[in-house]
Amino acid sequence: MSNLVIGGSTLDASWFLGLAAILFVLGTVGVLVRRNPLVILISIELMLNAANLALVTFSRQLQNYEGQLFALMSMTVAAAEAVVGLAILVDIFRTRDAEDIDDLSELKG
Amino acid sequence: MAIAVFFVFAALAIAGGIGVISFHQPIRSVLSLVVVMISLSVMFLLLSAQFVFAVQIIVYAGAVMVLFLFVIALLGPARELGRGRLRFQAWLSGIFVLVLFGLMYALLQGVQYRQPEKADLSIFGSVQWIAVYLFTNYLYPFELTSILLLVAAIGAIYLSRKRTGIDDL
Amino acid sequence: MSWLTSSQTIALLVLLFPAAGALVLAGRGWRLPRKFTVIVGPGAVWAAFICVVNLLLNRVNADFTYWTWIKSGSFEVPFNLLIDNLSLFMGLVITGVGGLIVTYSVGYMEHEDDASYARFFTYMDIFILSMLLLVLAGNFVFLIIGWALVGLSSYLLIGFWYQRHSAVVAARKAFVMNVIGDVGMILGTFVLFVQYKSVTFSGVFQGVSGCPPPQFLVGCFPSVHRGPDSLAVELAAFLLLVGAVAKSAQLPLHTWLPDAMEGPTPVSALIHAATMVTAGVYLVARMHPIYDVATYAHGAVAITGAVTALLAATIAIVQVDIKRVLAYSTMSQIGYMFLAVGLGAYSAGMFHLLSHAFFKALLFLAAGNVIHAMKDEQDMRKFGGLWNDMRPTSITFLIGSLSLVGVIPFVGFFSKEQILGAAFSKPGDSAALILWGVGALTAVITGFYSGRMWWLSFWGKPSPDRPVEHPHAPRLVMMVPVGILAVLATVGGFIQTRALGVGPSIVSDFLDKVVTPQRWEENGAGIGVGIATMVLGAGLFWWARSLRPWSARFPWAQRLLEHKYYFDEIYDTVFVRPMDWVAGFALRDVEKPVIDGVVVDTGVLTRAGAAGLSVTQSGYFRNYVLVFVGGAVIAAVILIVKANS
Repeated sequence: MSNLVIGGSTLDASWFLGLAAILFVLGTVGVLVRRNPLVILISIELMLNAANLALVTFSRQLQNYEGQLFALMSMTVAAAEAVVGLAILVDIFRTRDAEDIDDLSELKG
Repeated sequence: MAIAVFFVFAALAIAGGIGVISFHQPIRSVLSLVVVMISLSVMFLLLSAQFVFAVQIIVYAGAVMVLFLFVIALLGPARELGRGRLRFQAWLSGIFVLVLFGLMYALLQGVQYRQPEKADLSIFGSVQWIAVYLFTNYLYPFELTSILLLVAAIGAIYLSRKRTGIDDL
Repeated sequence: MSWLTSSQTIALLVLLFPAAGALVLAGRGWRLPRKFTVIVGPGAVWAAFICVVNLLLNRVNADFTYWTWIKSGSFEVPFNLLIDNLSLFMGLVITGVGGLIVTYSVGYMEHEDDASYARFFTYMDIFILSMLLLVLAGNFVFLIIGWALVGLSSYLLIGFWYQRHSAVVAARKAFVMNVIGDVGMILGTFVLFVQYKSVTFSGVFQGVSGCPPPQFLVGCFPSVHRGPDSLAVELAAFLLLVGAVAKSAQLPLHTWLPDAMEGPTPVSALIHAATMVTAGVYLVARMHPIYDVATYAHGAVAITGAVTALLAATIAIVQVDIKRVLAYSTMSQIGYMFLAVGLGAYSAGMFHLLSHAFFKALLFLAAGNVIHAMKDEQDMRKFGGLWNDMRPTSITFLIGSLSLVGVIPFVGFFSKEQILGAAFSKPGDSAALILWGVGALTAVITGFYSGRMWWLSFWGKPSPDRPVEHPHAPRLVMMVPVGILAVLATVGGFIQTRALGVGPSIVSDFLDKVVTPQRWEENGAGIGVGIATMVLGAGLFWWARSLRPWSARFPWAQRLLEHKYYFDEIYDTVFVRPMDWVAGFALRDVEKPVIDGVVVDTGVLTRAGAAGLSVTQSGYFRNYVLVFVGGAVIAAVILIVKANS
């Protein structure tokens, strides 16, 4: 059931899913460890892409339209979110010296 | 042949991913992400999602990444960052992430795939096919996302205007 | 609209007028001009007086219930007023004599500033209200409420000049001793409730006497029965007696009354002569069904009265402050009243209450005139020769003093001799004869100290220490009430000349409809002995003029009397010091570390906990994401493990 017949060869859907998992985990690491806010946003985009891959994989495996359509929606949302996130980022860090997310710790305590 | 394509671009994607989180200069991270996105679009193609493949390149790699590049240009090159303030962050992150990965791996082992519905693979993933579903079943989310984009645009304009004085919020 | 003028409403108005007066004066009176206070303060009392007279003329005799205050199962406390001859009698004394005194104090307190002036009349109105509530109440609960409020008013008025340390201490002493009485009253009520399941007078008296349920108390005479409940009744009677003793300043709870003279003189006149201290006598008279059955407690009433009368009279001999003489005299005269009601001569005791209200208020107010003229000097040794300077006051004071001694034709003679005659003539009761002896001795001593008081203050040459050369005559508003009381003291006796065996008995006839009538008559020997006692008393009054220094021969007696038989010292050692120690111990070792500690430590613990928890709010974005991811992972693991097991 997990076999996908693509262009004559048989691929396993779980390979795609494994790739998505790896990319997702890499994105998570990026969010947790990097201090440059821009890189954090990029890591989030990476996670979103990984999720899109998983969606499309299942769409192909189940031969269903839903996965692809949802992936489209996800892309739209990701674009909107990137726009707003970058606008905020620009606003905050325009006048600062270093781009370090740890500088934004005023909600301490 | 398809298998080879898969593995090549998979490797490329993973390399790009590692590059995203590893490079110190943000411009290099962005470019690594572009590599990842192009690899993923090839994956989409492999999975018979033609429209998604096109949209991925046009919108994601084309528009969003360009946006990121503009921001990097605005903010200038990354300045020197000193030592981080949180000492346990790296270790704990590593642990959690490994657990997460193990979880996903275990899940993948036990996945029970459903029986696929029989669909016509000749038009599967084509523009017409997407359009049919987009404007019938998914009409409502379609309209909502257009509003979402409008809101995002307004928000971006508002957030990035010049601050003149103290009263400006 | 007939309910507006019905007796039920008028009875309530008796209470509402002073209440309204107090509220108005407390709320706004101190901001309004003095004329306002002058009208509202006494006006409220006179309005109540008019209502009482109205009820009297309409011969109202009913138990009015206004609403049910508490109803819980079988326990029911209504707000009811019992209007019968006894309560109307007391009401007349309170509002009539009270009205005169409140009017008098318009002049006496004139030196106060506007705010204190209004405060004084507020307190006086509160007192009148509480006293009226006490006598009109139809059940034990409201009786005790009135009782306690009277104690409170006494505290407020004794300590009226609160800047004076001695006044504040005296007020507190009075209040504490009154509270002891309150506790006795409450316990007595509990005993009666447990026994008879009712707190209303009609309910309890029905139970005590086994009468068929009457509509009011008129015509219900108890039959003495010794049933199983007589022990409870005896106990309740003793407990109620504690309350009466405390309120009426009888032995052993009497030490507060002389100190209470720290209050302004009108306060002493109203509260500590005419009304509050007589509440104990009223209580025994009202509870006569109980006391008629509880013979031991009844006897205790008489004995307490007689002993107090004698002791107080002896202490009065050595006092130099004119108000203290009058205070001990009050204590002594109330002893007479207790003696009377203790023997079963209820109306005789009440008659003496009335006559004492007249002449004691007269004495206090006239003394007030003197004190006011002498710029607040109260030491009699510094007076002297006021007969020439203040003739009307001297005359009225003389009338009062002779009435106190019990000289014909003043009212004191008729009331006191009726009591002594009743004691002398009571058939089959030898103890009564002993008590008569005590009373007669007291009457003789009364003659002595009254005489000493009058001659020292008003006769002879003016003392060289006199603070004022020519004391001014009192204002009209201060002289008129004194005059009225003097007239009442002179002619009042003729409404009840039973002491002489002939003539009208208006008071007895009036009250015997409600209380147990005195079932024996004074015999001729009693009348003769009474006249002899009067002559002896008057004789000592005259002898006091020469003031032979007998104290030089008995210095130890002088010291004993001056220290008031060392009651204060004994109480201080036995009660006050240990209580102080206990209170200090409780404060230092219980209140501060334990109780305060618990409360404070709760706060400290909370703060520490909060400080500890606030570490999680580091403010760093990456920390939050870490926790987020970690939480999601852990939750996922748990869910999956559960799903698989």
